Amino acid sequence: MSHKVFPDVFRKIVKACSDVEERRFSAASSVINDAGFSPCGRPSLRSLLFSQPLSCNVRMYLARTLAPIVLLALTSASPFWARAQKPAPPKVTTDLPAGTMQAKATTACSECHEARIILQQRLNNAAWTKEVDKMTKWGAVVDPADREALIDYLSKNFSPDKPAYEPQRTAPDKRGKTSK
Amino acid sequence: MNSRRNFLKQISVAAIAAGATPSILTWALPQQQSVAVPGEDGMVLRSYRFFDLESPVEYFNTWLTPVPHFFVRNHMHEPSELDPAAWRLSLGGEVEKPVSLTLGELSKLETHSVVNTLECAGNGRSLHRPQVPGVQWGKGAVGTARFSGPRLRDLLQRAGVKSTGKHVMFRGLDEVPGKVPPFIRSIPIEKALDADTLVAIHMNGSPLTRHHGFPARALVPGWIGAASCKWITEIKVLDKEFVGNFMSPAYRFPNQPGKPGDSVKPEDTHPVTALSVKSVISGPSEGARLKSGRVAVHGAAWAGGADIAKVEISTDGGTTWSPATLGHAQAHYAWRLWTYDWKPGKSGDYTIMSRATDSQGHTQPPTAVWNPSGYLYNAIDQVNIHVA
Repeated sequence: MSHKVFPDVFRKIVKACSDVEERRFSAASSVINDAGFSPCGRPSLRSLLFSQPLSCNVRMYLARTLAPIVLLALTSASPFWARAQKPAPPKVTTDLPAGTMQAKATTACSECHEARIILQQRLNNAAWTKEVDKMTKWGAVVDPADREALIDYLSKNFSPDKPAYEPQRTAPDKRGKTSK
Repeated sequence: MNSRRNFLKQISVAAIAAGATPSILTWALPQQQSVAVPGEDGMVLRSYRFFDLESPVEYFNTWLTPVPHFFVRNHMHEPSELDPAAWRLSLGGEVEKPVSLTLGELSKLETHSVVNTLECAGNGRSLHRPQVPGVQWGKGAVGTARFSGPRLRDLLQRAGVKSTGKHVMFRGLDEVPGKVPPFIRSIPIEKALDADTLVAIHMNGSPLTRHHGFPARALVPGWIGAASCKWITEIKVLDKEFVGNFMSPAYRFPNQPGKPGDSVKPEDTHPVTALSVKSVISGPSEGARLKSGRVAVHGAAWAGGADIAKVEISTDGGTTWSPATLGHAQAHYAWRLWTYDWKPGKSGDYTIMSRATDSQGHTQPPTAVWNPSGYLYNAIDQVNIHVA
């Protein structure tokens, strides 16, 4: 039975991956398209399992159906998503680090800006408190019950003693060499 | 069946752990993979959304910075729709007769050009200690370009500014997410009437690109980049400074230097306007390993509306200083390139430092004035290198 179910499940997962990615980019799609970017990052298992828009049932379903594939991926030379989408596009998004507040922080912050803005900060608890409160005032949806945990998550992951963030570069553009 | 269910439960836990793995790897490993952005050449990607690009300092070896090498700073999302045919620039507020212009009409007005060094107020923010929040710019949120377009003064005169007009506000087409305050700022009427303040529609001889404010942006020379609002569609003469987040508390500087890390009361601050005296070393690069022989030290220096009087170089950690040679190309609001021909006496590790002084007698300090938002970082620049 499994050999019949597998392709079906695989198709569903690939569809779910692209759906989630589309949702993640929808708020910024015009910006990204207008800027000439390709609106595609590789599908992230994290977003599949933890993204807010998916219902709990769907998350459980995905978690269970994904599991064998994840194990397969972990035992092979390259991850399955790299082989499922060839050629692999450059990864243009980045994720917040794992933690109990990862999903909620991603949801609260990425409505307006991407994770990179957070990844590059190196702030103490007092400064993060100010930032979280400012951003909440500016529309970030943070449940008051989660405020402390969110500040704690940011303070621990992005404290002044962490090594400096290593930014990516834009690719060389030949037109850049000759333009005014 | 039970065992299968248990197996699935166990495997789900593994899947969740595995799902987190890419994030951990992403976090732990340097993210050197480049991102293709047409028209932008090898820029440092500070943020993709909002779109913020920094120039590597190695690019500061031409007097005019090519547009694909010019830093980009956005507070909001760039306009999703920019139809030049439908675009209008309105000018109203404290004026006798409001004006509305098409891009064609604007383009037919007398054009003036200004070569201006545009620098983000937060350039160098990442170098402040203690660290402060915001885009963590290194040294490259600065560039020099020839901006062209009608003088703002000509437009204001056409509308007839009333005696009550004290400030001139720019509203752009930036798209504001959530409840974020819009990026609206104003400049004093005196600066707005300056002969070199423009409604720029060209940059280095070509129409502005989208990232730089197409079809029109303000160009407020010698001042922080935030004064030169992009994608402007409305100019409004006000009877006082615009009231909004990006006038206060943002873009303000302590009246008196305080203890680094201390908060500053809003009433003890003033707006950030003109750029500070500053130089950066564009080569050799930090960490360079050089052969013995002659070393060409080079870079750029600027001071807002003031001229650069001299740039000095130290190769002994700041004990002795020697003058650099200033480049011939110059303009009132533009940086000066400089070079210094250095012959290291022996092999070893060296710290090369650059220090600029402007025509008003201001010299780059050893330590920049710390402020809560990390504006106007201008400490003496330095790179550490090794000579074999």
